[in-house]
Amino acid sequence: MLLEINQLTKTFDAGRVKALAGVSLQLAAGKIYSILGESGSGKTTLARLIAGLERADEGSITLGGSLISSIATHLPPEKRPIGFVFQSYALFPHLSVQQNIAYGITTLSNWQERVEEMLQLVELKGYGKRYPHELSGGQQQRVAVARAMARNPELLILDEPFSNLDSTLRIGLRDELFKILQRTGVTAVFITHNAEDALAISDEIIVLLEGQLLQQAAPQELYQQPATPYVAQLFARLLPLSKKVLEAFSFEPASDKKYFLREHDFRINQTADYQSTATVRQMTFMGKYYLLTLDIGGQFLQIQVPQPVPEEEVTLAWSAVDLLVF
Amino acid sequence: MSIPTLYIVVQFLRGPGESWAHFAQYLLPIYLRNSLYLLLACGVLTILIGVGTAWISTRYEFPLRRSLEWLLILPLAIPSYITAFAYAGVFDYGGSLELLARGLGLEMPKLDIMNIYGLIFILSVSLYPYVYVACRAFFMHQSQNLLEAAQVLGDSERRSFFRLILPISRPAIVGGVVLVAMEVLNDYGAAKYYGINTFTTGIFKSWLDYQEPITAVYLAALLLVIIFGLLLWEQLQQGRKRYTSGTKDRKRLVRIRPRSTRRCFFTLLVALPVILGFIIPVAQLIYWAFLAFDVINWSDIFTMVWHSLTIATLAAACCVCFAVALLFTSQWNHLRSINKLAKFGVLGYAIPGAVIAVGVYVPSLFFEKWLIGVVKTTFSFKIGLFLTGTTVALVYAYMVRFLAVAHNPIAAGKQKIQATLSEASQSLGKNPVATFFKIELPLLRTALLSAFILVFIDVMKELPLTLILKPFYLKTLAVEAYQYASDERVIESAFPALMIILTGVLPVIFLNRLVRQD
Repeated sequence: MLLEINQLTKTFDAGRVKALAGVSLQLAAGKIYSILGESGSGKTTLARLIAGLERADEGSITLGGSLISSIATHLPPEKRPIGFVFQSYALFPHLSVQQNIAYGITTLSNWQERVEEMLQLVELKGYGKRYPHELSGGQQQRVAVARAMARNPELLILDEPFSNLDSTLRIGLRDELFKILQRTGVTAVFITHNAEDALAISDEIIVLLEGQLLQQAAPQELYQQPATPYVAQLFARLLPLSKKVLEAFSFEPASDKKYFLREHDFRINQTADYQSTATVRQMTFMGKYYLLTLDIGGQFLQIQVPQPVPEEEVTLAWSAVDLLVF
Repeated sequence: MSIPTLYIVVQFLRGPGESWAHFAQYLLPIYLRNSLYLLLACGVLTILIGVGTAWISTRYEFPLRRSLEWLLILPLAIPSYITAFAYAGVFDYGGSLELLARGLGLEMPKLDIMNIYGLIFILSVSLYPYVYVACRAFFMHQSQNLLEAAQVLGDSERRSFFRLILPISRPAIVGGVVLVAMEVLNDYGAAKYYGINTFTTGIFKSWLDYQEPITAVYLAALLLVIIFGLLLWEQLQQGRKRYTSGTKDRKRLVRIRPRSTRRCFFTLLVALPVILGFIIPVAQLIYWAFLAFDVINWSDIFTMVWHSLTIATLAAACCVCFAVALLFTSQWNHLRSINKLAKFGVLGYAIPGAVIAVGVYVPSLFFEKWLIGVVKTTFSFKIGLFLTGTTVALVYAYMVRFLAVAHNPIAAGKQKIQATLSEASQSLGKNPVATFFKIELPLLRTALLSAFILVFIDVMKELPLTLILKPFYLKTLAVEAYQYASDERVIESAFPALMIILTGVLPVIFLNRLVRQD
C-alpha cells in the first residue's frame, strides 16, 4: 500500500469542533481516488493532514512504508513527496508560468527540461512566459497541476478542482485532467463534493460524513452495495418504503430493517419481481420531467417520470435486486 | 516595545515627586481643563469638517471633485506646530493679512489667534483629514441599496443622511476622531507656541524647567489614563450593534449631480479646509522663505536635511523589519501569546511622544549606569554613555511610537495574501523561511513600501520625542524649525518647514500612485 492512514483524528477550536474522528484507510499505488463528502464532512481536513498542512491530534499516516505523521512525528509539508493542487490553484501571481512550475525543482540540474516536459504534459507549450492573470481558469488549473507534478510526487492531492466551474466547462476539464493523470500514472486523490465527478474519474471512492469514513469501494460496488442510506442517496434520489407500501407489493418486511428504492428503479406499467396498482393523484409538469404523486394503499409516493402518464391507475413494479436494505 | 509604558505605570504606582503638590494644586487643573477643552472642541470641529467633506465628495459630483478628494488629505503633511507658526505670521501685527489689507486700502481689525481658540482652529484644520479619510473609506463601501431603502421608506436625501448614514458611520467617525484625540494630546509645539498649558507641555515643564523627571512621569501616567479611557470608549461604543450589512450584492453609491449653483457651493465648501489647512500656511511659509533667502545658512539646511533623512530612513527601516518579524514569527510558531504581545507592542502609537521619551530616557539611563558600573568593576574598563543622548535611544523611541504605523499596512497586506500560496510553496518543498523570502516578501512589496513611507513621514514631522531624546549634535528639520520659531526667528524656520512638507507631500503622491498600480 502506498498510503496507510490509521485512526486519524483532528479537532479544531480547542477540541470543540471534531473534523475527523478516527478515520482509517489505505490507498494503493497508481490508482485514482476520490474523497467524497458534503461541506463539513472533514474531506479537506483529511487532505491537509495527508499533505502535512495540519497536524493530527491522534492517529498516524504512513507513506511508502515510512511514518510521516503521528502524535510524536510530523514531517513538514516541504519534506513530503506529495503534490497538492489547491481549490483556488494558488498560483504565485508575481511569477510567470515557467517560474511557477520551476518553483519546487530549481535544485535539480535539469529543471529547465522538466519545466518544458510539464508544459507539454498539460498542453501549455508556449505559455511559459505568461503570468497567471493572463490565463483562463482552465489553463490556470493545468499550470497548478504541472507545478505539483514537476516534483514527481508519489501522491497528488487535488482539492475540489472543479468547484469553481460551470457544468459544461467542468466536464471538459475533468476529462482533460483525467487524461493527464493517466498519462503520468501518479496516484491521485480528488477531494470533491460532487458524486458525478467522483464516479467519472475514480478507481475507488471514499465517502466521509461528519468526520467519519462511511465506505471505501469501487464506484460500481459503492453504487450497488452502499453501506448506508447516506451513501446510496449520493447517486440518486432515495425513496424510503414504509411497511404498508411494501405490503401493498406483497413483500414481507423484517421489522428491524429499513427498505429503500432509488427513484429510477420503479417501473410504470411493466412487470417485475414485485408489483402493485397505484392511483395517480397528481401529475405536475416540471420541465425536464413529470412529478407523479401516487397513492399505494393509502400511502403517498412521489416519483419522477420522463413522459406524462394519462391513466388514472397504473401498475408500479420493481426488481428484488434493486431493493436496498439497511 | 512596552518597556516605556510599563516603566511609567510602575513609577506611577511608586508615588509622585517633591513638587507634585505644587503641580497638583496650581497647574494640574489648568492642564486638565485645557486638554479636555481642546479634545472636545477639536473633536467636534474635525467631525464636522471630516464627515462633511467625506460625504459631499463621495455622494455628489461637483467641479474639481477628483483633485479635491486627495488635496483634502494634504494638511496631514504639515505638522500642526508649523501650521501654528504660519498662522501666527498671518494674523500677527504687521503680518501677511494686515499687509494684504493695507495693500487693498482696507482697515483690518486686530485678530488675536495666539489663544486656546486659535489653537483649536489650528489643530482642527491640521487634523480633520484623519476623520475625512476614515469616513470616506467607509462611505465608499456603503451600499446604494441601503439609501434607496431609506428613501422608499419616506426619507429625503438630507434626512437619510442624518437618520441612516451618520449613525452607521459611527465606527469610522470614532476611529478617525480617536486618532485626532491622540494627536491633540501629543501636540507640544503648537500649544507651547500659543502659550497654552496642556499635559504635554506640562511634562516638558516638569522635566526641563523643574528638573524633576518623576513629576513628568506622574503627569505622563495621568495622560495615559486619559488615552486608555479613550481607547476603551472606542472599543465599547460599538456594543452589540452591527454597522455593516451582511449582504454581498453591494451596489456602490451613485453620485448625484446637483444644480449648478449648488455644485459651485460644494466646490467652495470642500476647498475651504484645503485652503485653511494647507494653502494658507504653505503660502505664508513660501513668502517667508523668499524673505529669508539671503540670511539662510545653506550648509545648516543641508546638515538638517541629511540628518533628518538619515534618522527617518533608519527608524522607518527598523520599524518595518520589526513589524515583519512580529507578524511572521507569530505565524511560524503558531504561538498565540506572540499575537497578544504584538497587539501590546503596537499600542505605542496611542501614547504621546513626550510620554514615550520619558519612558525611554529614564530606564535607559538607569540601565546604562548599571552597565557602566558593572563593566568598570569587572573589567576595570571605562565606557561612556551609549544609549541616552545617542541615536540608539532615539531610534528605539521612534520604534515604540511608530511600530503600529508600520504594523497595520503590513498586517493588512499579509491578510490579502491567500494562505494557500504559502501552503503551496511548502508543498513544493520550500521551508517557511524560503517561502517567506520567495513568496510572502515579494507579494508584500507595496505594503512594505507603504509602511516605510508612512513611518518615514511621521519621523520627519515628529517633535516632542525628538526634542527630549535627540543627541546634542543631531539637527533635524522638525527640531530646527521649531527652535527658529521659538527664538522669534520665525522667517528662518520657513525653509526647514517647507522641506518637511515637501518630504511629506511627495511620498503621499507616490504612495497614491503605487496603490493604484497595485
